Amino acid sequence: MGAAVGTGEGGGKSVNVELNIVPFIDLMSCLTAFLLVTAAWVNIAQINIQPKGKTRDTSDVQIDDERIVLSVLVQADRIWVGLSRVNEFQEIPKNQDGTQNWEKLETTLKEHKSNLFKDRNDLEIAGESTLTQPVKYQDIIQAMDIALKVECTACPVRKFYDVGLSDPMGLSARPSL
Amino acid sequence: MPVHPAGPRLYRSIKFKYLVRGAGSATHARASNISLNLTPFVDMMTILVAFLLMVFSSSKLLQVQAGLDLPIAMAKGKLQDTEAVIVITKSEITFKGEMIATVDSVLRDESPTYRIERLFERLEAAARQIKIDVEMGKIPKELVAACDDLKNNKRPGPDEPLCPDGMAILQADLVTDIRVINKVVVTAKAAGFDNLLFAIKNK
Repeated sequence: MGAAVGTGEGGGKSVNVELNIVPFIDLMSCLTAFLLVTAAWVNIAQINIQPKGKTRDTSDVQIDDERIVLSVLVQADRIWVGLSRVNEFQEIPKNQDGTQNWEKLETTLKEHKSNLFKDRNDLEIAGESTLTQPVKYQDIIQAMDIALKVECTACPVRKFYDVGLSDPMGLSARPSL
Repeated sequence: MPVHPAGPRLYRSIKFKYLVRGAGSATHARASNISLNLTPFVDMMTILVAFLLMVFSSSKLLQVQAGLDLPIAMAKGKLQDTEAVIVITKSEITFKGEMIATVDSVLRDESPTYRIERLFERLEAAARQIKIDVEMGKIPKELVAACDDLKNNKRPGPDEPLCPDGMAILQADLVTDIRVINKVVVTAKAAGFDNLLFAIKNK
């Protein structure tokens, strides 16, 4: 392999210069091997949440009581979608195959978004876990992901941007079980 | 098995020049230098290195502990960098690499405050330090506007960067019991971390 270097003169001497690219190839090979070993092939993203609701060691109510708050409570065998003040709750049982009915949750949140929450972007989610019926972190992330995905194109505020994680005891709308 | 005396060996008993000559015609000797076209190889290597460097640079925060499986979600927000990183593996909770408590002990603890005291102390100290750093301007340029907005109580938009003041990252295993997450969130909030970034894996 060579590189032609034009001298601009018509001399008889060859103008081809042989470049030694072996060190370059060596370097490239080492760099490729190093990067292949160290590169992470997993794309990590984030879900931004604000802690919401009442905490157990304080009686501070951080939610304006005049407003209706949309609350989602994830339990091991069902999901509750509730509205504070009006105390309306919708139960979403698990599918027959034992998985949570995420499609129904999405539909329910869409309905609320396009009715009562056209100009609101806030929503709170909680997970209630017990020793015998644990709720996994993945389920809460799934619920948050769905809440963030729900969109109403005709609404002044199109999405639920302000999704908060609440303690299940401090949820604004909590079904009496 | 009988042992035979060593016979002729290739490249030892036959000289190289005869081998090279033998490869071509019997009458004309060929040059023994074979020129390989390395251009496509170098091109491929260069592209591969450029691609890997890009992947490498975008995975700055991937110091995920061994055995930690992050939850999977569709959200696309790029994980922001911050000093306060809480990690919850299947067995233990760590903060900035320091072991704080085991998951079992947190699940057994029934304190009325619903907090993890040791984590609270570490988080409070970290929050104080971050606040001082922000006030002294020790933050990247692109976050100055976000911190100014925070001072004016203006909430950032959905895809805007967040001020490091009051922001922590939570890397938790996908099978973690939500009671542990709730306790960590309550503790973080009490220590002054009002924004939590949950690290997730994209589908």
